[in-house]
This record gives sequence, structure tokens and C-alpha cells, in this order.
Amino acid sequence: MQKAILNNIKGDKLIWAIVALLAIFSFLPVYSAASNLAYVGGSGNTFAFLVKHFMHLFLGFAIMYGVHKLPYRYFRGLSMVMMPLVFVLLIVTILQGTTIEGANASRWIRIPFINMSFQTSTLASVVLMVYIARYLSKIKDKTITFKESILPLWIPLFIVLALILPSNFSTTAIIFVMSMMLLFLGGYPLRYLLAMGAAGLVGLTFFILIAKAFPEAMPNRVDTWMSRIENFANGEDTEEDYQIEKAKIAIASGGVVGLGSGKSIQKNFLPQSSSDFIFAIIIEEYGLIGGLFLMVMYLWLLFRIVIVSQKADTIFGKLVVLGVGLPIIFQAMINMAVAVELFPVTGQTLPLISSGGTSIWMTCMAIGIILSVSAKREEIKEKQSQDEGDNPLEILSETI
Amino acid sequence: MAVNEKNILNRLYFVAGCMFIFAIAVVVKLLSIQFIQGDKYKALVEESNIKEVSIPANRGNVYSADGSLLATSIPKYDIRFDAITPTDKRFKEYLTPLSEALSKYSGKSVSYYKKELQKARANKNRYYLLARNIGYSEYLKFRSFPLLELGPYKGGLIVEQYVKREHPLGEVAQRTIGYERVDDEGNITRAGIDGAFGSDYLRGTDGKRIKQKIGKGQWKPITVDNEVEPKDGYDVYTTIDVNIQDIAHHALLEQLEKYEAEHGTVVVMEVKTGEIRAISNLGRTSKNTYYEKRNYAVYEAHEPGSTFKLMTLMAALEDKKVDTSDVIDTGNGYKVFYGRGIKDSHGYGKISAARAFEVSSNIGLATIVDKAYAKNPERFLNILSQWNLDKKLNISIKGEGEPMIPKPGHKNWSRNALPSLAYGYGLKITPLQTLTFYNAVANNGVMVKPRFIREVRNLDEKIEVFEKEIINEKICSDQTLKKAKTMLENVVKRGTGTSLYSDYFSMGGKTGTARTEYWHKDWSKNPRYISSFAGYFPADNPKYSCIVIIHKPSVKKGFYGADVSGPVFKKIAQKIFTDTPIVDEVETLEVKTAKVEKEYKTYYDIANRYKTIMPDVRGLPIMDAVALLENMGLKVKIEGVGVVENQSISKGTKVKKNQTIVLKA
Repeated sequence: MQKAILNNIKGDKLIWAIVALLAIFSFLPVYSAASNLAYVGGSGNTFAFLVKHFMHLFLGFAIMYGVHKLPYRYFRGLSMVMMPLVFVLLIVTILQGTTIEGANASRWIRIPFINMSFQTSTLASVVLMVYIARYLSKIKDKTITFKESILPLWIPLFIVLALILPSNFSTTAIIFVMSMMLLFLGGYPLRYLLAMGAAGLVGLTFFILIAKAFPEAMPNRVDTWMSRIENFANGEDTEEDYQIEKAKIAIASGGVVGLGSGKSIQKNFLPQSSSDFIFAIIIEEYGLIGGLFLMVMYLWLLFRIVIVSQKADTIFGKLVVLGVGLPIIFQAMINMAVAVELFPVTGQTLPLISSGGTSIWMTCMAIGIILSVSAKREEIKEKQSQDEGDNPLEILSETI
Repeated sequence: MAVNEKNILNRLYFVAGCMFIFAIAVVVKLLSIQFIQGDKYKALVEESNIKEVSIPANRGNVYSADGSLLATSIPKYDIRFDAITPTDKRFKEYLTPLSEALSKYSGKSVSYYKKELQKARANKNRYYLLARNIGYSEYLKFRSFPLLELGPYKGGLIVEQYVKREHPLGEVAQRTIGYERVDDEGNITRAGIDGAFGSDYLRGTDGKRIKQKIGKGQWKPITVDNEVEPKDGYDVYTTIDVNIQDIAHHALLEQLEKYEAEHGTVVVMEVKTGEIRAISNLGRTSKNTYYEKRNYAVYEAHEPGSTFKLMTLMAALEDKKVDTSDVIDTGNGYKVFYGRGIKDSHGYGKISAARAFEVSSNIGLATIVDKAYAKNPERFLNILSQWNLDKKLNISIKGEGEPMIPKPGHKNWSRNALPSLAYGYGLKITPLQTLTFYNAVANNGVMVKPRFIREVRNLDEKIEVFEKEIINEKICSDQTLKKAKTMLENVVKRGTGTSLYSDYFSMGGKTGTARTEYWHKDWSKNPRYISSFAGYFPADNPKYSCIVIIHKPSVKKGFYGADVSGPVFKKIAQKIFTDTPIVDEVETLEVKTAKVEKEYKTYYDIANRYKTIMPDVRGLPIMDAVALLENMGLKVKIEGVGVVENQSISKGTKVKKNQTIVLKA
């Protein structure tokens, strides 16, 4: 049985292990938050939330397994095919976006037949990263002018950003920053990057001005994130401050060892206790130890991503690993930074830990891509090892 | 653009390094929150995030003697609508069906509700009242209405439940059934049976449950079970008979309305047991209607007037200071005692003491008592005291009136106090006390305490049974009792109460017409009276005693006890013996038969066993003992009444015919 699994799963075993550990750990805070949701929801069935989370993770692992079995070179073509589909989905989201109870943002579309809501921007982010990685690898040997990159690179990028921006500023910002980072890693000329960064800022300002001038066009949302940033800067008392304060109370009362599973008090007052502020609740229940464990897990995952990227046999392989891998870590860091008030409230989830289907599935898809790249490397290595003996240094870096 | 692995890696190390530094920053901030700002934030933890919620126990029911419900607690509901909670889509979709359902329920038009609901939503009204004070079945209807059926979080349904004490019989005996009410300052008003037995039995103990705060105004129970289960209150079974109560209530009400009286009370008591079968207390409102205002029968001590003549005359009879046949000169209806004149309504001349009682001569009674006790009023007052008339009955219901009988040395005492007492002035007793005394007369001298409660039960389990309580085993001799009963019967046959006489049933009683507020200056212009009638029925084997007191009837319409209160008494007596299916003559007969049979058995045992040897007759009723011994051929002399306490020839001695034996009771 064990052998069967080990024989079937390819790629970096440690990444598999880290993801599995995080997934197992995620049941604890999700179940803890479930008691309130179940009580308020009226069903009274906390177990249903556990089952739902399990289903999300199960589906996530299925996606991860499926994706990692694909040779990663296919993703180049797939990203080309997927880009137009992403545009369509994003437009559909804006037009008939479902508002999830309470949250005033059109980020979700309802998938027909299975009746689940799906956050399209998360899918768009993964597809866009692969698309950029593909583009960068394609031009790796050319000297590119800005003009030449407008149509294949910047137009798709800005369409995606423009479609997400009205409903979700923080995701747009993260996608933009991650795209820039990937372009930087891929050797895209730095001066163009700086220029585009400046252009992005100008565009954003322009957008805000329009939104302010015509408030009916973009109800609520602009105000929400404007006030979030403003308040982070000047510290007035708002709903966000209330949340932040509760998060800090949670962190402080957790202490070193925490209050224990399910004993969080602040989860009752933090509206997004199972997603946005889950890190604070984890510290309240599992203490500094729990928080550091999570941090170490994500940093370890970062380390493994760097290793996989290093070992990847092609430029596309390297870039695609970083393109889909680093945002996971980045998002985790942002989420934790929000909880400790190092960053304004963004609404970013903690990858693999927070409840929520889309986030889990897309993270799993990204990890699947990384594993696919590392699986390819293993194949090559196997062939090589038939030719030459094992390099001890090689083995060491494979195992940490 | 020469991209190679090397420069990708260099840049990667830079980016990864940045992330690592970011991670370090997060950890540093985390540590600072925990260790530098930790105390500040720990102090902010809401201490009251856990609270103990009490789960009110169900208050017990109050039942009548025959098991009808007199008071019970039922849940009531207010239904409100949070017009903000439903989504736009749902609100639009359900507006019409909901309005239709509401319209069908209340009778108001559909468009009215549509407008109101839309207005509530426009005004952001989160507390729009749909229905108030509705019962459980109606509440269930609301829960099935369109939109509301989606519950509080989607449909905006707000349900507020509270418990209300209801009296299914309505106003009847409401004051005696009573209530227990706690005001905002925690002061408790306890009226009637519900009040008296509230804390001990009806209330029960509240349960407890620990809940944790999960948001503004939302609390969730922490555990599955209650920490302390609520224990429901016990049920109290009263002695009230619904049928008699109904008769008494309506008879009194009718008379009060007829005579435009200020207030009145009627109490019906079962002679043998002292159980109160009916009690009604009606007071007038400013709109000249009557309702159960105060428990007059229990709390209102007042000058009884002529009904008290029974007590004074019986005291003198028992003390052998007078006999019923003694002639009293009542003169021409006006006689001066110690400088104060006493009036009768007529001049009766020289009449017997019994006749003076029957016609209710104030002068007659005053003369008897003054003659007998002027030199030793304590002797007279002691007898009244032995009859418990100067003391509270100590019944279970709160707020019993304090009786007052003056004594020499008392500030109200004067030489005139004694003749005044004789015809019921210058003292205060409550209606219930007067009734208790008349009941004792009807009950062959056994004075039993009035009782409102029979037993306390928890479902079928008896928690406490209230037995008959005897205040005085025998208030006076059988001779006195016999004389008193004859006089009381004669009051109705040929005295002040002749208007109440009926060929079909017998009764004994005494009228009373007492002046009240005569110390006010305007009395002569605007005289006020208290009309009363106390007695029992049927005369020969009394089953119920009853008192009727009506305060301040309209003088123009009548004020004599026989006219105002008497008819209430008569109506009750008549109805009980014609209308009431509850009256169970067989039951009483059975009780008597058992007792008589037992006595007969002892009698025959002794009669058969002892022919020439003296038996032990101590403990036998004296009349039985006489019969027994005379059948043996002995001559018997008796002293006293009741059961034999002493016999002059001891048990086992041989006796001869015509030998004399003295029995002492």
C-alpha cells in the first residue's frame, strides 16, 4: 500500500509531505470555527463543516495528483488555451457575480450543476503566471523591445488585472506584484519593469478617481479598500480596526503554548475566523509554537520550491515553478502579516489552511505544476544515474 | 536578452531572501504582540464572554377541587420582522405571498401589508411588529408563512417568547387564586393562593446553562446539556369548587349591581372539613362595574354588627348567665347605657332572650351582656378569646386582617364598650373569622380552620397533603349549641330573616345591618351600612356554611342584611341543592355510615358481652353509654355532654339491677 502510493506519486516527496502536513493541520482551526458557524446557521451540525473541508481537500489532492502526472511542457500550450477562457470567466463573474453572504464583492461565480461557488480571480492568477513563464522562456534568447512585448505580455496581463480590480483590489495588487517578480526573475529588462510599475500606479490612481467621481458605477468596493488603506495609515476606529484588535487579542492570549484546541474566544468575534484571520486563531489555540510551526512549514516549502526550480531542466521549468510557487508563499506571508498588523487587511486566505474550496484547489493545482516539473527532473536523474554514480552533495540537497 | 540559469538563480536568491526577511519581520511582530504588548491585549479579552443563563422553570398549575384549571402558565409570543435581513431578491419574491398570508391571518388587506413591509424595509426597520401576545398555535402559523419560514437569518423572523399566567375561568375567584408578581425593583407582591404557595411549591427551581458570546447579542450554549436542569413547580389543588364558585360569584355580582354597593364578599365553606368551596370578592370600579379587587374576606376586619350577636349570646348561654327563655325588657326601642342611647328598629317590649336574638334587638343583647358581665368584663372577653375571635386565623393566604376586641385598659375600652360589643360594635373581625365561628356552630362545636388548599402534587405524586386543622375541639356544650342552632333557624322562620324562608330547604343564619363610617359628620345625611348574613344549610345536617357581606349598598334601594345579603345566601343555598351535580350526598352518607357502624359495632359487642358485669364505657358517646347501661337495668345519671370520661362503677365489677351509676363526660 505504502509502496503503491510512493510508486505512484512522482516529484519532490518533501513537498508532498509538507502539503499533506498542512492539510492535516488545517482540520483543527476549521473544525474549531465550525461550532459558531453551525450554531448561527441553525443546522447545529459541526461535523458537516468538517466533511465539507475534507471534500475540498480531497478534491484538491485529486487535482494535485492529476496535474503532477502531466508532463509540464504541456502547460505552455495549456496556458495559451486557458487565457481566453479566463477572460470570459472574469467577465462572466463581473456580470453575474454571486455575492457570498455578507461579503459585498462580486468575486465568485456559481458553477452550474454542482452548485459550488468559485473564485475566478484565483484561477486567473495561476493561469497568468504560467502564461508569463511561457512567454519569458520563449524570448529567453532574444533581445526584446518593449513594443514587441506589449501584445503578447502586457495586454493579457492588464486585461486580467482590470477585470479583477473592481471587485478585489488586494488580489489584483498581489497578481501585479507577482507578475513583476516573475518578469524580474525571468530577466525581463529592469527599466521596462520600473516603467510599468509606475504606469500601474498611475492607472490605479486614475481608476480611483473615476470610481470616486462615479460612485454608482462601482458601489461600495472602492470605498472599502480605500478606507482600509486610509485606516491602516491613520488608525481611525473602523470595522477593520475592530478585527485587527481582536486578532491581536487572540495572539496575545494564546501565549507560548496556546489555549488549546477549540478553546479560542476571539473566533467568536472575528467574522472571518476560518479564512482571513485564521493565523491569529491558530496562535490563540496553539500558541507561539503553532504559529512558528506554520511559518517554518511555509519557509520549508519555499526552500523546496527554490530547490525544484534550481534543478529544473529548462528555463520554462524554472520559471513556471517560481511563477506558481512563490505566490503561495507570498500569500501566506501576507495573511500572517495582516494578522500581526504588519500589513493592511486584505482578505487573503492562508493557503491550504483556510477553509474555502477555490483557494485550496488552485493552491493544489499550483503545487501539482511544481511537482510535475520536479518529476521530470527525477526522470532525467534516473536516466543519468544509470550512467554515473550518485553525487553525495546531490543526494543531500534532495533530501533536506 | 540573454537569460541563463545562473542569473535566474541569482535573482531567485534575492527574491527568496526578501521573503525570508519578510517572514522574520512577521515573527518579530508576532513576538512583540505576545511579549511586549501582550498584557495590554490580554486585558482586553472580554471577561463577560461566558454567562450563565437561567432557564425559567414552568410554574405549577392551580386546580380546583374537582380538577378544573384555575391558573396556569402558558407561553405567549410576539412576532417581529427584521426587514433588512432578507436579500433583495427574496424580499421581492416573497412580498406578495407574505402579505397575503398576513392578510389572511389578520383580516387587514393585502395591500396594507405590502405597503407596511416595504415601508419597514425602506426605513431600515429591523423590529417591525407583526403580532403581539399570540398563543403557540398561532406562533406556529407565523413560522410557516412565506419568507418567515426561512428563519431569523434568511427570513428576518424575530420571535420573542414569554410566559403569561392565565386564569382560564376568567375573573371568577381571581383574587383568591391570586398571582405572584415581581416589579422592577425586585419587590414581590403575592396575592391569593398563587402568591401564598408560589415560593414553596408553584415556582419550581430555574435551570442553568452556560453560554458563550459569539458576537453582538449572540450566545451559544457551550455544552449539549443544561448545567442544572430546570425543575418545574408543583401543582396546587385548591378546595375551590368551580360550580359553587360560579354560583357564589354571580349571585354576589348580581346583588352588588342591584344595590349599587361599594364592595362585597361571599365565602362558602364546607362544614366538616373547613374547605373553602367558593370565595368571591368584588369591588366597584370608577365605571360602576365590579371586579376581583381585593380579598375582602381575608383582609378586611370591620365592625361585624348583628352577626356578632351569636357569639355574645352563646358566651352568656355557655356561662349560664342567661337562658333563652329568660325575659328581657327591651322597652320602647330606646335605652340609655352609661349615658349613651342604644336604639332598636322597633320597640319590642318584654321578650325572651331567644326572641331578642331572632329580632336582632340591640337593647336586648346589650342588656343581657351588661347585666351579666358589667362587673367582670374579662370573664366575657375570655370566652371570646377561647373561641379565637381576637386572634388571626393564620391561614395560608397573605394579608389577613388583624381582629381587634378591646379589653379593659385598652385605649378603646370604656363602660360603654361592653354593651356595644354585645351587638357587634366597637370591635373588628374579618368575614372569614365570623364564618369560622358559624361553621363551628354548624359543625357541632368543632372549630376547624378555613382551608384553601387540599394538596400539592407533582404530576401524580403527592408532595404535601393539607389535613383538616382544628382550632377548638369543642367551643361549647351541646346544650348551648342546640339552643344556638334553634335560634338561628328561627331567625329565618320568624325573625329578621323571614324573607329568606323556603319550604323546600332549611337553613340557619343571622342577619346583620351595621352602620359604618358613623363617625363621619355627614353620616346622618348620607347613612352607610354594611349588610351581612352568616349561616349554614341545610339546618338539620349542615353541609355548608356561608357568609355574605355587602358594604355600602345604596340606602335608597335597601340596606338591611336580610334584604341585601340574605338573598345571595339563599340563592347559593338553593342552587347548590338544586343545580350542582357536584354535591355528592352519597359520599357524606358513606362517611357517616362507616362511623356510625363502628360505633354500633362497639355498642353491640359490649351489649352482648356484658350482662351483669360493669363494662368500660369510657370513650363511648355518652348517649350510647346511657342506652347500654339502662338496657342492663342500671339507673344512669349523667354529667356533661360528649364522650364518657369517667364512670362511677369501675370496669369488671358485678352490678345489680336498679343500681345507680354516674357517668361524667
